[in-house]
Amino acid sequence: MGENLKLPYWFFGIALVLGATLLVSDPYVASVVNIVSIAALIAVSLRFVMLIGELNFATAAFVGIGAYTAGSAITILEWPFLVALVLGGIVAALVSIVFGYITLRTKGPYFLLIGFAFTEAVRIVYSKSMVLGGNSGMVGIFPPIAFDPWMPTFVMAVVALMIFGLYLLERSDFGKILTAIRDNEDVARTVGLNILFVKIACFAIASFAAGMAGSLHAVTNNVISPGDFSFLLAAFALAYVKVGGEDNIVGPLVGAVLLVVLGSYALGLGGHEHIFYGAAVILAVLLMPEGITGLLRRGRDRLMGKGKRHAA
Amino acid sequence: MQHEGKEALLRTEGLTRRFGGLVAVSDVDFDILPGEILGLIGPNGAGKSTTFNLISGFYKPSAGKLTVFGENCTGKSPLTISRMGLVRTFQHGSLMPSMSVRDNILLGTIHGVRGAGKRRERAAETAEMLGLTPYLSEEAGTLPHGIQRLVSIGIAFAARPRLLCLDEPLTGLNQTEVANTLAVLEKIRDEHGCSVLLVEHNMKAVMKVCDRIVVLHHGQVLASGTPAEIRADKSVIEAYLGHRHAN
Repeated sequence: MGENLKLPYWFFGIALVLGATLLVSDPYVASVVNIVSIAALIAVSLRFVMLIGELNFATAAFVGIGAYTAGSAITILEWPFLVALVLGGIVAALVSIVFGYITLRTKGPYFLLIGFAFTEAVRIVYSKSMVLGGNSGMVGIFPPIAFDPWMPTFVMAVVALMIFGLYLLERSDFGKILTAIRDNEDVARTVGLNILFVKIACFAIASFAAGMAGSLHAVTNNVISPGDFSFLLAAFALAYVKVGGEDNIVGPLVGAVLLVVLGSYALGLGGHEHIFYGAAVILAVLLMPEGITGLLRRGRDRLMGKGKRHAA
Repeated sequence: MQHEGKEALLRTEGLTRRFGGLVAVSDVDFDILPGEILGLIGPNGAGKSTTFNLISGFYKPSAGKLTVFGENCTGKSPLTISRMGLVRTFQHGSLMPSMSVRDNILLGTIHGVRGAGKRRERAAETAEMLGLTPYLSEEAGTLPHGIQRLVSIGIAFAARPRLLCLDEPLTGLNQTEVANTLAVLEKIRDEHGCSVLLVEHNMKAVMKVCDRIVVLHHGQVLASGTPAEIRADKSVIEAYLGHRHAN
């Protein structure tokens, strides 16, 4: 690869957050840490498909597929915890390959609408399925007791690993093809690149991450129901990406942390946390079109003098 | 059809494309030979772009045959044809504006070159040849038009095609930039043995750089030959070059 991957920052950052989770003893804080980690992974998954220029509202469906797969594997099949967890990601990726093969020939609003429709259709399937618990969903999706005290650290570690993997992919030559597709698909095609194949690969990788987020949601929440996986999930993820900034993989992380923490604070006040998402998105779009990370980068550029923006 | 013992890289036979009732390209025959720069010229609406899209697989012919590197490629997809070694550019915005020049050129190497290090070597070499080295870290979309045009050629040539097809690469360039681009095309031909199909409006440039020229008019081949032959061709002068050139 040869490019500056900023690995020391990554290792330091991951060590820092993992270390911090070890200090968490309060169950409420632990649950917020889990929710933040999972939200961050969903947002990063959504952003990964944004690299090819598409808004993937089916992200919510793949989170749901991961959650229901892990839930079924643990409660019905009684498979080992880690196997069930990874299975959620794999099944989501496999379904997404079929879905992507059919739908990735469309673009823009059409692709978005198909993703939206798919998410709602899959949700109806859960609610009609007796095996999956219908409208009330599945209960009793527990990790092994030995995992219990380490859950926030475990969830954070899995999420960090996935996000780091997606970062490496984005910075690889494969990632450059993704950006090229967003910028100018025709040119990429003329130099021998199979665009549909690359799009499906991108989609499947993102869906694996979304499925893993679903698995983690199932085992940390212990209860899942169809309502958890409506298109709103994707809309929130989009808010994390837009508020945090989409230029950089750190953006969705910042957005997820900020909005989830704000949201839980609002819940504590007895307010509707959705108002915060709405307000944050409006403020972000009006005041910081490149998100928080974009604003910080511009501030840094100004401090260090102009002309260094493209140096990386 | 053989030309002095050289097998054609590309051959069209009776190539025709209709759009509803409109016949955009009708019964077009021509060859591109190894190591030549072939100019495809003609007034607006003569069928140049359609022909260009037909040979790169972006349009399917309504009739006729397309042979590329000795293989029948009639109706083959753009991907298949580009992977065989026929790489094209587009008239407008033939690059990735948000990516650096380095990454733009790198994109051209990904399919053909194994290994990240070798790809970077190839990209650097290509940039050097096109004089783009000073711009490698710049965002392609922010560069002057003339440089962007060179980047487009760079992306395509980084794939090291056997036949490079350029769609009006000189449009909007000043004299220095035109001379510079023509020198690049000659280098591509002479140093790499790559043939070039040049669809172009700039007559002076076409006459200067092309080994042979095919003139399209109303979707048909009006004439073909060396620049000297084309310059002397009465029908071409009437149809296309106009009185100023005729005198």
